[in-house]
Amino acid sequence: MRVIVRTVSELCITVGALIVLFVAYVLFWTGVRADGAMNDQIDRLHRQWSRGRAQPTAAAPGERTVTARRPEPYRRGEAFAIMYIPRLGAGWHKPVLEGTGTGVLKKGLGHYARTARLGGRGNFSVAGHRRTYGDPFKDFPRLRPGDAVVLTDGSTWYTYRIDKGPYKTVPTDVGVIDPVPGKSGYARPGRYLTLTTCDPEWGHSHRLIVWAHLDATQPVDTGEPGALRR
Amino acid sequence: MYGWIWRHLPGNAWVKALLSLVLVLAVVYVLFQYVFPWAEPLLPFNDVTVDNQ
Repeated sequence: MRVIVRTVSELCITVGALIVLFVAYVLFWTGVRADGAMNDQIDRLHRQWSRGRAQPTAAAPGERTVTARRPEPYRRGEAFAIMYIPRLGAGWHKPVLEGTGTGVLKKGLGHYARTARLGGRGNFSVAGHRRTYGDPFKDFPRLRPGDAVVLTDGSTWYTYRIDKGPYKTVPTDVGVIDPVPGKSGYARPGRYLTLTTCDPEWGHSHRLIVWAHLDATQPVDTGEPGALRR
Repeated sequence: MYGWIWRHLPGNAWVKALLSLVLVLAVVYVLFQYVFPWAEPLLPFNDVTVDNQ
């Protein structure tokens, strides 16, 4: 009898300890790992950019894109840009990687592979964690129309301006990342940006969306865009 | 269970305590390195996309 009681209580203690450890892992350790991975990605990008200046692929909105050679396709799982959103904090910047798989999103924000290139015609769409793995989009609901979303690919600064959002929708609403997303208010094709994350904060029943349009581009040589200066 | 482990560890009480500590750390390492990364995607925090890829 005593053996049974002891064994059961030991099991309970073990399960309790496991749960506490798992919560610590999810809340704390994934963040530590993700911060390390994201800094690593950003360092790698900076090294890559300083080695060889990528060929300029910038195209101002409305301007016809004339590129001698096609830009290299993004490689799955590799970072190709850094995103800055001043509203989420002066120091907020995250790498953007190609693809939206679970493994990719542990290292940064993920670009939906079938959507437009950065700065390109169509809808450049990016997903990010709301919670865990560094909480990149924790303050997503604070985004407001007019806020800047600035990206660089090493050769060009792209400044997008948020037009609508945060818009709450269901997880199957793939139309939000269409080239001209429905419900966004955009009527004509253009150079758009969509950010998606989960809602509620710790849940997965809905998604939060913001839409932005490309407002300005400038070469990196001319310094940081106005939206990043304060 | 824990009493059984304690009785089967070699050495005096100090050595046993040290070995227990090593065992605990080993278990925590395995959990953080292999078990939790496997279990975590089963929770909803990874669902941030709209096309569920």
